[in-house]
Amino acid sequence: MAKWGMVIDLDKCTGCQACTTACSMENNTLPGETWQDVLFYNAGEYPSGQMKWLPRPCMQCENPSCVHVCPTRATYKDPDAGGIVFVDWNKCIGCKYCMIACPYGVRFYADEKPLIEPDIRDVFPGENAQLWSPPYQSPDEDWRRGIGIQPKGVVSKCTFCYHKVKNAPEGIADLDEDNPDVKEYVPACVRTCAPKARYFGDLDNPESHVNQLIGDKHGVRLKDHTGNKPQVYYLGAGAGVPAFTPADRENDA
Amino acid sequence: MTTQLHKNALQGPLGWGLLVVAMAVLLVSLGYALSQIITNGHTSFNTSSALPWGQPIATYVFFALGSSGLGLIASLPLVFGFKQYYPIAKRCVFLAFALLISGMIVLALELGHVFRMLWVIPLNLQVQSAMFWMGAFYALDLLFLLWKFSKLQGGHWDSKTAKQVGIASFIGVLLASGNLALIFGMMSMRPFWFDPLMPVYFYVTGITTAVAILVLLTYLAYGFSRERMPAALIALSTGSLPKLFAACLGMTLLFITARAITGLYSNNPEINVVWADYLFKSGVYIAALLIGLLLPFIVLLSKLRNKMSIQILAAFLVMIAMFVERLYFVVGGQVVPLFKGTWIPDLISYIPSATEWSLTFIGFALCFVIYLLGEKFLNLGDMPNKMLDHTTARKPIETTA
Repeated sequence: MAKWGMVIDLDKCTGCQACTTACSMENNTLPGETWQDVLFYNAGEYPSGQMKWLPRPCMQCENPSCVHVCPTRATYKDPDAGGIVFVDWNKCIGCKYCMIACPYGVRFYADEKPLIEPDIRDVFPGENAQLWSPPYQSPDEDWRRGIGIQPKGVVSKCTFCYHKVKNAPEGIADLDEDNPDVKEYVPACVRTCAPKARYFGDLDNPESHVNQLIGDKHGVRLKDHTGNKPQVYYLGAGAGVPAFTPADRENDA
Repeated sequence: MTTQLHKNALQGPLGWGLLVVAMAVLLVSLGYALSQIITNGHTSFNTSSALPWGQPIATYVFFALGSSGLGLIASLPLVFGFKQYYPIAKRCVFLAFALLISGMIVLALELGHVFRMLWVIPLNLQVQSAMFWMGAFYALDLLFLLWKFSKLQGGHWDSKTAKQVGIASFIGVLLASGNLALIFGMMSMRPFWFDPLMPVYFYVTGITTAVAILVLLTYLAYGFSRERMPAALIALSTGSLPKLFAACLGMTLLFITARAITGLYSNNPEINVVWADYLFKSGVYIAALLIGLLLPFIVLLSKLRNKMSIQILAAFLVMIAMFVERLYFVVGGQVVPLFKGTWIPDLISYIPSATEWSLTFIGFALCFVIYLLGEKFLNLGDMPNKMLDHTTARKPIETTA
């Protein structure tokens, strides 16, 4: 079975947020429930101040701390599904411990105050136990893997678009949106990326393009010191995340 | 007119009055909380995906650790043979039960799917999770507390079984509160909490909370009058109990100081900024430290510690301060935005919502209701016969009003 991995080239990424939008549309996420986001950072100061940005999906860690802490095994890593970390919405009790334990802040408890008004959940009230029921919905729903629109009281997260990826031919090394044979199986954020900054493939396949990129272009994993070992790698300059500095203390740095 | 004045004030009209008030607070807050949770779900909370644990979790931690502290104090006479603590043993065990139930109810109202928990936790046995063990050990703790209480209720203070149940309960308490500590202390990605000594910190602060609650409610039980109290209880309340109170307060302050110094010294903003820009920028937190912990500690170091009014005031201040400490501890671990970039440019602000406050009120009111019922019907001031002061303890006092 493949071990699905993503490579994001920061030298190519323009921070356009098309990936964020595509993810939101593909997975019917709520405003603020950004399974995929582009984080912007101000770093340094004049004359060497920088603006950095960093696309951030779930890292689908090899050693995921969120899985270890979940008291119900609702969060699990599925080696038979490419090592993707899922949330089983039939088992999640909404304790939110996984959100505490995830170093990357990529888990969401959508049953919270709306990010923007009007609350879209009031505009499209939930039916059939869904938290909300928009008129367009992705036809794929698999609560055991946290795919579809979640019910109330559970945690949600990026699934590497497993509802698409699962249909990929067995043994394929890369899911490249430029390959017409597999483009339908490519995660939404990868497929929509205009500057082609994202690559998706099998980290266990020595022939895969993602492995070549990681090896040749010095791929790094974010917050590697946590030991979580993400299956998402970053290329190029800018993968260093600036330490948190409160807004009123930026000039003290 | 002649009225009967009970030794235990809560067995008389005062008890009924307080019970009515506590029941009213409980029903109003429960009604409000349930209506909000059912109609608006967790949107009625001010927690968010960026700061998922708020005041309800802090309330649970306050009650669970208070319960553990009471369990540990009860083990002084029941396990370790410190016989001077017998007069408060039964009240401690019952209060530990009341606090734990109240904490669990608050936690249940905070969870997304509380009833699902009843089958998914036992059926999935995720032994890697500290939360799993916390649940398992607190469930055992509850069982042992009830068992131990039934022994005391039956007058078995020193029997072999009572001793064995007491030891099991003591170990259960250590494991339960220790695992609650590890839920926070093992989170290396939340450096403010990450601390291998967190269980010791929770034991110490749990006992501090417990002594405060115990002192307050014991005096209440006797109508804030030492004349009503049995001699053995007076001896304890003017002897080792206030000293234990002072010692626990001192250790609590020592722990907080050590954590604050290492935190402020650290360059890591996820610890440093929490102390410098969140905890020490909050008037409430500083007041809790200075007025709620330091002042009572200083007063209790002097001979004044044996005065009832001083003990009551100290207990009240410490109880409030420990609640504040729990709140700032739980929230403090999350205020630095985790991997959010400049979307969240500053510390995450969090003020508990009305629904979250109502959960806290539910906890306090429920705990008080259970306690009052215990005082009324279960003779919580009981102790081994040889310690009872027969001249004043059992008979109602005749007085004229």
